[in-house]
Amino acid sequence: MNATATPRKVNPITQEVVTHSLVAYAEEMALALCKSAYNMMIYEVRDFCCGLIDTQGRMICQNEGGLPIFLADLGIAVLDGIERYGLDGFNPGDVIIMNHAGVCGQHLNNVVVYTPCFHQGKVVAFAANRAHWVDVGGLRTGFGNVQTYEIFHEGIQMRSIKIFEAGKRNDGVWQMIADNIRFPQASLGDFRAQMAACQLGARRLTELLQRYGEATVLACIERSWDQAETQARAVVAAIPDGRYSAETQLDSDGRRLNIPLRVKVSIEVTGSDFTIDYSEMNEQVPGPLNSGYSGGLSAARVAFKILTMPRAPVNEGCFRPLRLISPAGTMVNARPPAALGLWSIALPTVIDTVLRALAPALPGRIPAAHKGDMGGCSFYGQRAQSGERYVLMNIFGGGWGGRAQGDGESAAVSICQGDVRNTPVELQEIHYPFLVEHHRLRADSGGPGEHRGGLGVEIKYRALEPSTVNVMLERILVPPWGIAGGGSGQSNAALLQTHDAADRAVTKESNIALAPGDAITFSTAGGGGYGPASARDRTAVKEDLRQGYISPQHAEQAYGYSTDSNGGTP
Amino acid sequence: MNRDLIGVDIGGTFTDLVGYRNGEIVLAKTLTTPANPALGVATALELSNTRLTELQEFLHGSTIAINTVLERKGARTALLTTRGFRDVYEIGRGNRPEAFDLEFQRPRPLVARELRLEVDERLNARGEILVPIDPQQIEALGQQLSAHGVESVAICFLHAYANPIHEQAAGALLRERFPQLFVTLSHEILREYREYERSSTTVLNAYVGPRVKQYLRHLQADLRTRGFAGSMHIMRSNGGSMSLAHACEEPVSMMESGPVAGMIGAGEVARLLGIGQAIGFDMGGTTAKATLIIDGVPAIEEGYYIGGYASGQPMQLPVVAIVEVGAGGGSIAWRDVAGQVHVGPQSAGADPGPVCYGRGGAAATVTDANLLLGRLNANRFLGGGMTLDAAAAAQALDTTIAQPAGLGTTEAALGVVTIADTAMALAVRAVSVRKGIDPRDTTMIAFGGAGPLHAAALCKEIHIPRLVIPRMPGNFSALGMLLAPWRQDFVRTLIGVLGRLDPAWVDAAFGELRSQAEQQLHADRLAIDAARLDYAADLRYRGQEHSIPVPLDGPGSLCRAIQQVRDAFDALHERRYGHANAGEVIEVVNLRLTVSVPRAAESAYQFLGTPVTREPLRSTTIADDQAQFRNVVFADAECPVPARVLWRPELQPGELIAGPAIIEEPNSTTLLFPGDQARISVHGHIEITIHLPEGVSQ
Repeated sequence: MNATATPRKVNPITQEVVTHSLVAYAEEMALALCKSAYNMMIYEVRDFCCGLIDTQGRMICQNEGGLPIFLADLGIAVLDGIERYGLDGFNPGDVIIMNHAGVCGQHLNNVVVYTPCFHQGKVVAFAANRAHWVDVGGLRTGFGNVQTYEIFHEGIQMRSIKIFEAGKRNDGVWQMIADNIRFPQASLGDFRAQMAACQLGARRLTELLQRYGEATVLACIERSWDQAETQARAVVAAIPDGRYSAETQLDSDGRRLNIPLRVKVSIEVTGSDFTIDYSEMNEQVPGPLNSGYSGGLSAARVAFKILTMPRAPVNEGCFRPLRLISPAGTMVNARPPAALGLWSIALPTVIDTVLRALAPALPGRIPAAHKGDMGGCSFYGQRAQSGERYVLMNIFGGGWGGRAQGDGESAAVSICQGDVRNTPVELQEIHYPFLVEHHRLRADSGGPGEHRGGLGVEIKYRALEPSTVNVMLERILVPPWGIAGGGSGQSNAALLQTHDAADRAVTKESNIALAPGDAITFSTAGGGGYGPASARDRTAVKEDLRQGYISPQHAEQAYGYSTDSNGGTP
Repeated sequence: MNRDLIGVDIGGTFTDLVGYRNGEIVLAKTLTTPANPALGVATALELSNTRLTELQEFLHGSTIAINTVLERKGARTALLTTRGFRDVYEIGRGNRPEAFDLEFQRPRPLVARELRLEVDERLNARGEILVPIDPQQIEALGQQLSAHGVESVAICFLHAYANPIHEQAAGALLRERFPQLFVTLSHEILREYREYERSSTTVLNAYVGPRVKQYLRHLQADLRTRGFAGSMHIMRSNGGSMSLAHACEEPVSMMESGPVAGMIGAGEVARLLGIGQAIGFDMGGTTAKATLIIDGVPAIEEGYYIGGYASGQPMQLPVVAIVEVGAGGGSIAWRDVAGQVHVGPQSAGADPGPVCYGRGGAAATVTDANLLLGRLNANRFLGGGMTLDAAAAAQALDTTIAQPAGLGTTEAALGVVTIADTAMALAVRAVSVRKGIDPRDTTMIAFGGAGPLHAAALCKEIHIPRLVIPRMPGNFSALGMLLAPWRQDFVRTLIGVLGRLDPAWVDAAFGELRSQAEQQLHADRLAIDAARLDYAADLRYRGQEHSIPVPLDGPGSLCRAIQQVRDAFDALHERRYGHANAGEVIEVVNLRLTVSVPRAAESAYQFLGTPVTREPLRSTTIADDQAQFRNVVFADAECPVPARVLWRPELQPGELIAGPAIIEEPNSTTLLFPGDQARISVHGHIEITIHLPEGVSQ
């Protein structure tokens, strides 16, 4: 569907029905995928996105809620297929599968599936989704492996392959996939859910086109993009023109633990145009902490959306005022065959850094930094009795920064993760050989400030059978920073307690063996504080003490609040 | 033999009564008396000439539970958890549904951290004891709670769904040693895994428990002293009813007590009139609600979030899916610092109520605006039971809105009504357009005291071509109650592979559910023979998380008709998600038993579907007062239009009415815009064809 056709006048009611319907279809696709998926990265973590893409690769609509960092790139994947087959080269019943690193720029677990949508005999759009497969082969089981140094270690690549052609499955390809991944039943189950979601989206769009006609629907889409663009431009225009920069750091690429990585961004605001420049970003790294172009683009889009229209539906028009300068060869636009296993790990820090750069231009609107990593754990092994292979993954929340209107939120997932949920302890213990000993807030972790940073969490796993764990922490060197005089939050940490060695802190390490009885505790970062701690309302400090969000020692050190003098303060 | 029964729905503003006596419907409406709701009930009983001694059953719906949560006015509540897990309730699931919003708010716990206490006890996922519970510690905690003035305690231990033994031990001890404590055990409310959602549901019960229990017991005592000897049933969110005694223990399941009843009634009307896609719309004094109804069945959700998904409290029990906005007749019009005019969500409620009630209300409301637009009859409100003071309403609106905003009085009144309509349109959109349903393919069924007054404007706004105002719209929620069956859902988690389950184990688990059901039926003095038992199992392909409830022929089928169960699951999966994986391993997650005791056929169902003849006039004073025409403001504040005024009880089946018109009846007013066409159905419902603007079809 080519939505640049001359816009025609549309009845405003039809406009509203069509616009809302398109968003509703994306949500319906998402629901179908989520509810029938086979792995927790989809059904709990919601590591997926669904949408409709036009014949030029532009986003007609996308579901809300899932992973914000999937804002960029369904279109890039679909365009590769259009280039390969031509628009005439698709048939009803085709299903295309795609995860090629050079095109998609993400770890190979993120598999795109799409189907063409036909109207009056021609392709008018594509229904597409991307979802995190539990495994795609290679060195990595679960997530967080830091040992890979080229994409070929990371699994099987599928570039714009018609896995179904005119309704008939390509059994050879199917077999090849099934034989090269660790959990074929789960991943291919997920594939079926993805395919069904696409078919649902395509069917809905066809119905819409039949009812209102292609010209009307196109005009509605075009108008929805224009409206989004107008809204976004109005917000950008209100930001004072100028060039804004900020520089922060990531800890390491996972292979060279002593070399920090530079995160430097510049933003140019001119009228209603907004440019994000990654030219001074760290060069691409030997370890897997790289993304392709689309990774950097995603971060830029998330930051832009946050700044301009956080509550509106997502479509192509939202991002028209945004320009990205992202030269090849950096860690956010790595050249093949760079390893991309940890493609998303840099992105929360990139977004935080964009926001930080703009803080002087937007006083009172930018909170202190949040926990800053994607926060999760990944255990794997084989069950002692059945010999069945398993992988346990969980995502943790952490503290968010204090903000002008109040304290930061505690225990919330990162800025790159939206409606992403932690895994219930009961569910983990039903399925996996672990006992969780506690899952609690991490007292004292919030950065001191007039408005305190939110708290991180602590969760302790004890292995009941031999198992293996990957640890992948970030933002230890540069903890979540305060703003407007606030202090930093506590950094992420992990403590390993094994039967045969002294307890030790772990940052990035793969394939750590656990014997029955061994334990590992993850402590997630707190958010930075907003405003000087000395300005914090004393009753708020007292209340924090009463609830145990801070300890007496912390109250004294960070806030100069002495419990001995019965709440008195100098 | 007729079973005489009565239903009373207490909303924020009005108390509605419907009775079914000797095959006839009686009704009454009066103001809610928030300080002592039983007074309002007594007034309604008197108004309807109901003699409690002659009734077999009293049904009741109330917003008390949900309002207690929304206003955060519940009991001082503590939460006991497994050691290491007291923060689960605050951590929640860590998600941020408002993904791009830096100002996002996470749910605010109803129990502060200092009252979340940990107990040394632990079970594993199979329900085996790893750390035994220590009664002395529970005793000590009980002392501590008493010392802190705690009124209610929720207990949610890990894996209590698998084995409730520790919750039972702690609960028994606390109930015995501290009888003043309201004790809620998670497994008694919800026997499913997921500790956060179970904790939240348990806490909700504990939080509202003391207040609701006191209220219900008070009401019961009041009715008993008035000679009522029948049974009392409370509406629950799942679209059924439960005994009062049960409601006192499990008030969390009456969260959506009031609104659900109306939607059940709307479903019956839809079925009766053959409406495939309907939107039930209920507007009262405080809020407006909408529900999608397909083929007569209101949509049901497996739980919801009180206060909204992004920052509300999860409540993991089945509930009719309702979208609600804070706009009602009592919603207050106000101006913000920038001079912008808003309506609601603050409501004048019943006390003091709108300015025109003359009960001390000073803030202009939607009802005041409607009166000034000529849409309400000052002399016939509540069937003439109350005279409205238009002069006072005008003065209030002038002072607070019209003069500061530089508007005329009528202009301001029209603005207030339009703003309320826009807010309500959002709720209707949320259940239609947002679900991919084109409102142009639906029919609105509007009720609630204010629903029929605003429905036609909403239909125009959203382009719904057809509107039905059922009989007795002002008492419709209470009427719906008379249609609600006794219903309870029993669930327990049992995880295993279909075909490999030990039949003895499954039989025992279903047997347990059945005996729970029998106990509950017995406690409510109902015979199991009269009950309908629907067995089901939640199934999924192994590896999936979400499951689908698959109906079973009986408790034995799960282990003895495996292929049939498998086929049924594959078919449901295919229908719901567009694909099925026949032959894959299927996992059992939960066992379910839904018990319902349907109402006899001669009950109030008959009322909705019985052809009507002209009803006698209710009051001669009203007839005398009847004016043929009244000036009503529709679209233009400057140009009121003379509209016919009709008295609904006098309208004949088959009669046609052309808008502009006003159809008045004892507890509600229906407004027809110019161009709208109404027809009285054979059953006495008003079916309206809405005049939509040109070009709407495309």
